[in-house]
Amino acid sequence: MALEVKLGISSRKVEAYVGEYASGKSEVAVNRALMLSREGRTVTLVDLDIVEPCYTLRPIKMELIAAGIEVLAWETRETVGLGEAGNVLRAENRWALKRPGDIILDIGYGVGGSRTLNLLEGARDDPDLKMVAVVNASRPMTGSVPDIVDYIRELGPVDLIINNTHLGDETTEEIVQEGAVCVTGAARELGLPVLATTVVEVLAAQIGPKDCEGNPVWPIKRYMPRTFW
Amino acid sequence: MPEKPIKGEKRYFMTGNEVVAYAAVMANAEIMYGYPITPQNEIMHYWTRMAPKYGKEFLQTEDELSAGFTTVGGVLAGRRAFTATAGPGNTLMQEPISMAEAMRLPIVVVVQQRGGPSTATVIYSQQEVTLTTLGGNGEGFRVVYSTANHQELFDYTIKAFNTAWKYRFPTFVLGDGYQAKMRESLTMYDPEERGLKMVPTEAYVGKPGVPGIDRPPGQYRNTYNVEEEIHEVVQQYTKEFNAIAPEVAEYESFGTEDADLVIVSHGVVYRAVKEAVSELREAGMKVGYFRPITLRPLAEKELKEMAGRAKALLMAESSVGQMTRLVKEVIYGATADIHTLYKPGMGISAEDVAARVRSIL
Repeated sequence: MALEVKLGISSRKVEAYVGEYASGKSEVAVNRALMLSREGRTVTLVDLDIVEPCYTLRPIKMELIAAGIEVLAWETRETVGLGEAGNVLRAENRWALKRPGDIILDIGYGVGGSRTLNLLEGARDDPDLKMVAVVNASRPMTGSVPDIVDYIRELGPVDLIINNTHLGDETTEEIVQEGAVCVTGAARELGLPVLATTVVEVLAAQIGPKDCEGNPVWPIKRYMPRTFW
Repeated sequence: MPEKPIKGEKRYFMTGNEVVAYAAVMANAEIMYGYPITPQNEIMHYWTRMAPKYGKEFLQTEDELSAGFTTVGGVLAGRRAFTATAGPGNTLMQEPISMAEAMRLPIVVVVQQRGGPSTATVIYSQQEVTLTTLGGNGEGFRVVYSTANHQELFDYTIKAFNTAWKYRFPTFVLGDGYQAKMRESLTMYDPEERGLKMVPTEAYVGKPGVPGIDRPPGQYRNTYNVEEEIHEVVQQYTKEFNAIAPEVAEYESFGTEDADLVIVSHGVVYRAVKEAVSELREAGMKVGYFRPITLRPLAEKELKEMAGRAKALLMAESSVGQMTRLVKEVIYGATADIHTLYKPGMGISAEDVAARVRSIL
């Protein structure tokens, strides 16, 4: 147990990743969980996507567990009628916020998804819970400052924004930096801080520790291209 | 005119379903009718999100029968109308699609194939080929584009509206759950800025003037009294469908001239085949591919020529031979050995294809 926790000072990180469909929530959440785990922290990663549960985590679940992360997610074979017959919230997931250590919540599917948080015990009064909106400015619905501002307002309470602008394999430094300008502009208008710009490792090395707007750069690996339902 | 969501040309990172919704907006589609079914739901979601801003309409019906018939109604009223479905929804939709065939109505249907038979999986298959090309109680007077990536989903959704309204046959974009949910980048554009004109629509009913006096009467029938009547109509449609087939049919091929083995595949499986062929060629193996883009009508002449030359064919698809049956009919008489790689309801990887090829050659 970390010293701060022993002393009753919360150094616990509880982050709920929300955002537009296919904005990169799961990719960022997985990388964030690994990042915290590498710092020697206790991390639980929770799949709270009720529309496409385990869509993203199934093939990499074992890899994450091997890396020391606790993963709370359905096995696809345990579910019924993926995406259309409704889903049952796993009991463990419902009580995830009561676990020790850091909690990373991967919350699915846009505005509807962000309401999923209501289902979690203790979500309303968890003092450490931060809502993190993931934005990819290469997506048409969040491609400009006014579009991002409108979208984040629709999402409900948001504490932090992540610039996850990319074009898959075609991502360049320029695309990431343009995204940084766009997302930071929207964040300014919303009065919210930008937590980080997430960039694949190779490009992150080119950009350095800060993007052109002064936001911290988090180097990430792409796990999602390997994922399936 | 309300503005359009895309101005100029730009690369975007999207899911396939979103691409279809944007393509429909950019093609000046006016109304979507639909009933939810995975994996096509986000087509409806994104269409309805854009609808208020871009002056579009949407009607959610009580089931797919109704979604198909209301699409037929929209087209009768002269609207550029479309619907999207999958799996059991596609099954239900065959009746209204048959009506559209009977009345030569340019409906556009996007199908994102899921596992079958019945409800099966919401995930993926290529098991709706027979249903989409030849479903219903008719002769399959339809155009079916089988796409392989997001750029094609965008391009062929736009094209489907023009094909439908030009030739007045129901037109399909046949995708699958993988393409629907997959994320990749593509260029979106305004077809009109590229000089691609959208074929104008016109109302079938409610035209001005007195029928028979001011204008010829419209006779759009799906019901006939005697055998001779329907016989004559079907003969005429057959003639017209066969006449347009060569200009509608599309395909891609590579290395078929000197190949010991040609792999035939369509849709997302073609991506794996293309990659496998490039690897096997580098390894010095004489392998080629033939990929029908239109599954209906097929590029008959080119398929026949290819099969006439090839020593062996490998049919690769995520079903138990639905594409193969269509191809075999066209290449009847060719002496090439036919091998198969069937993975019903499962994806096919480049490694699967390469391993199968190595087991044959």
